[in-house]
Amino acid sequence: MRTVFVLCLSLLLKSHYVRADDFKEEIFIKPLPPTHLYVYFQFITTSEESSFEHSHLASRSLGEVISRFQVDELHLTLTEGQWKHSKWGYPILDAAPGAELYAWFSPSVEDVDTQWRKLSATLSGLFCASLNFIDSFNTVVPQMAIWPTGAIKTNQNITSRLRYATLPREIVCTENLTPWKKLLPCESSHGFSSLLNSRMIHNTNYHSIGVHVRKMCKVDNCSDINIEIKQTVALVYDYKIIDSMDWSFRKLFGQGLPGACPLSSSSKIYIDVSSNDTYSFKLSPSPNNVILSQRGGSDTMLAVYDIKSYNHMMNIGVKYDTKDKLLVTIPPPLHFTRYVLGYGKEFGGIVTEITNNYWAPIDVVLLENAPWWLPIQLSSLRINGKAESKLVKSQYFSPGRSRQKPYHLELLLQLPPKSTTTVTIDFEFVFLKWQEYPPDANHGFYIGSALISANLPTARNYTSLPITGSTIDSIINASKQWYPAVFRTNGAMVSLPTPDFSMPYNVICLACTVVALAFGPLHNICTKELVLKPVGSAISLRQKIMNLFKRKKD
Amino acid sequence: MSLVYKCVIAGLVRYWLIHIDYWQTIANRVEIATPLNSWKRLIEGVYLYDNNINPYEGDSFHESPLMLLFFHFVMKKTPYILPLLFTIFDLTTGLLLYKTSKSFAQMFKESQDKVKDDINADSKSMLLSNSKLNEAPEYVLSVYLFNPYSVLNCAGMTTTVIQNLLVAASLWGASSGYRILACAFIALATHQALYPVLLIVPIAILLADINKGCNKCSYIRTLLVFVLCWGFLIYFSAYIMDGSYKYVYNTYGFILAVPDLKPNIGLFWYFFTEMFEHFRLLFVCAFQINALVLYIVPLTLRFKKEPVLLATVLIALSAIFRSYPCVGDVGFYLSLLPMWKHLFTFMQQKFIVGCAFIITSALGPTVWHLWIYSGSANANFFFGVTLSFATAQIFLVTDLLFAYIKREFTLKNGSSRQIDGKPAKLVLR
Repeated sequence: MRTVFVLCLSLLLKSHYVRADDFKEEIFIKPLPPTHLYVYFQFITTSEESSFEHSHLASRSLGEVISRFQVDELHLTLTEGQWKHSKWGYPILDAAPGAELYAWFSPSVEDVDTQWRKLSATLSGLFCASLNFIDSFNTVVPQMAIWPTGAIKTNQNITSRLRYATLPREIVCTENLTPWKKLLPCESSHGFSSLLNSRMIHNTNYHSIGVHVRKMCKVDNCSDINIEIKQTVALVYDYKIIDSMDWSFRKLFGQGLPGACPLSSSSKIYIDVSSNDTYSFKLSPSPNNVILSQRGGSDTMLAVYDIKSYNHMMNIGVKYDTKDKLLVTIPPPLHFTRYVLGYGKEFGGIVTEITNNYWAPIDVVLLENAPWWLPIQLSSLRINGKAESKLVKSQYFSPGRSRQKPYHLELLLQLPPKSTTTVTIDFEFVFLKWQEYPPDANHGFYIGSALISANLPTARNYTSLPITGSTIDSIINASKQWYPAVFRTNGAMVSLPTPDFSMPYNVICLACTVVALAFGPLHNICTKELVLKPVGSAISLRQKIMNLFKRKKD
Repeated sequence: MSLVYKCVIAGLVRYWLIHIDYWQTIANRVEIATPLNSWKRLIEGVYLYDNNINPYEGDSFHESPLMLLFFHFVMKKTPYILPLLFTIFDLTTGLLLYKTSKSFAQMFKESQDKVKDDINADSKSMLLSNSKLNEAPEYVLSVYLFNPYSVLNCAGMTTTVIQNLLVAASLWGASSGYRILACAFIALATHQALYPVLLIVPIAILLADINKGCNKCSYIRTLLVFVLCWGFLIYFSAYIMDGSYKYVYNTYGFILAVPDLKPNIGLFWYFFTEMFEHFRLLFVCAFQINALVLYIVPLTLRFKKEPVLLATVLIALSAIFRSYPCVGDVGFYLSLLPMWKHLFTFMQQKFIVGCAFIITSALGPTVWHLWIYSGSANANFFFGVTLSFATAQIFLVTDLLFAYIKREFTLKNGSSRQIDGKPAKLVLR
């Protein structure tokens, strides 16, 4: 009787765990005509909210970080390259160049700043990235620009629990990809992740790896909560680099797809074939299914492959019928650019140009995040050249402090239809201490990208998943009133004035000498008195020298 | 009459300079505007205050809350009056210096009459006549109104204009015997820039000399009034900032700790740029002691009979050694020098100092342009120029003091440099 009971219990428990943990892998491919190809991987691990001591599929190392630092939601991306919104449309998940980390902490965390530093230091070890350089001097607390995507209780102040930091100088490489792959249930041995050869993906124009952890409601009334760990890779290939418009997995990743990860509950590949109308091409092998998705006034055709049904090596590829067709790309409803003004190394300005192509006004939040060594002056803020602008609906400014706090400006702007809005703000170059300059100081200093968050009224060029969805099939026919999106503008670079790094001893000696030049005579004047002293008749040089020797003998 | 002409011309020049297209360039020059006094930072601070952001939370504003309140008020009510206001402030400074030097001439005459009998017959001719004494104030006024350093300082609309006004007002108050006035103004100046705190010593001596009677009581009374005024200002500033003393870190703290290393004409910027981090505190202390306390006691003991000379030298030394000096400070003490016109004959390095002033003033902007804009020079060039400028100023101050003691000696012992018919020379012993 007792053994039966134990058996039943263990079966129950086992089935419980199996049900709780879930792993899905997906690839989304979208040609960005005429010259680029967007490939997006996502690996979703869902796990029941617990201490991760018994995690089945979810990575324990990451889970422990989440539960230890009481993180409600976490987004980490490591990106190389710049997404060109005006040419390529919008990615599923946007990322700032370099490293970007933001997280919401649980309300039970008392000292959010300390926890934030600990979290970034731990993640730095986990991903072999320089996230340990995140400190209060490059962390901001966005007030309007970023909102959580997961199930977080909104009855407390959410913004005060948020921290955001970017490291625009961070260089993303194999050493980040390898630990990232280790977090996957199949690692890189099976499934879609076996395609991620660092040799191939670091050859792309743009690559971004990310980890996004959020809380998801298990049931509709949110009485039970799951943790969703989503690992993403976004790649943009240049047809010039793969040498032709015809692409295949072998060309893109150096090998075919060996099949699905055995642990996954779903392994699907989606290919956006909407551009087939203008640029006709043929998929081989032919997809299992083609779905038409109507979303916010734009139609998307998705070819779907369910890899679970294949159990052999696959090489999905595309062959274009015509190759010498030129197409004008229609820019998305909202695009932007950012650049630095001024010449010389004394004064400058940052300009952000935001273009609204849509026929209705769009509200956007612009977050300018200037490091402490680039002090921006709020009084010099100009919108379209004017100090007082009706376009600004709300404004938040937190002045920076040297070596302690960055400058943080957030503007809620209403962009008029079919117009470009220019936001200009002046800054003054700061002269750093010689030990604060990075190696190769004349290389320049990176300014992180500005955040632009908008509720787009149209889904044109919009590929992001709806906030409640986690898999790519959730975008099918997901028409909503608004399509929320957070974009990152391009970063910029400035060259700060440098001192002469070889001079410290000389400068210290010279400056002290000048101080001594004052001290000596003043000391004499104050302590001595003037007297007349007889001078002998003039003596010759020879005698002087002789006198010197004489004195020595004494 | 000439006084009115001078003021009108100087006022017009200043007012015109504020309105020309190059004004922005003048106001942004590193030699004129420092992080402490620049017009740009003042605007930013007032703008933040206007937008309900505490300007002391950030790192852009380092003026005292009183200035913040004053300029907030002026910019809100009558922003167009600002150029005129700065011009008038600067002209008032000139006039106050004129008055100060006039009463100084009077004092000088009295003390000269007193010691007439002790003077060597040989040197009687060196005593200053009334006409010579009356010339000095005119020179003081002219130098203040027309020396390019003061003119550019006013044209750049730096807050040093106000600091100069406060110091001049307190000097005038002291030389006229108004204790409370002198102490209040010097407290205001101290509250703004800290370094004028040195001047309380010559002012106390001056007040004791003028209001005859118990010297020690006078010193104590002056000091007490000053401390009360300063304490009240610190408290009142905190009251303006809703009871928070955080502003102290952004005003006095900023002056003392030198966190901003933007180049200026002083000695601090490159020294602390190149400083090794673990020696930083030591040298910050050393340099601030050098600027604030080192010279005050010995100089006071040596020159307690000449409080005005003491004041001149202390103003000059604090202008050279302060953490964020600008040409406005230099122009101010240069205009005090004509009071010591009679010492010029005893000065030995006039030519060298003059040349150095002219050359460094021309070279400074040139090498700055080469470094920052054309990228063909580096920081060492500008550092070299500021170093030689500081050296020239130091030579000027020490030469002035040597000239004073030499004149004293000559008055006492006659102008002959002979002992028993044999040639001799003056040496310090």
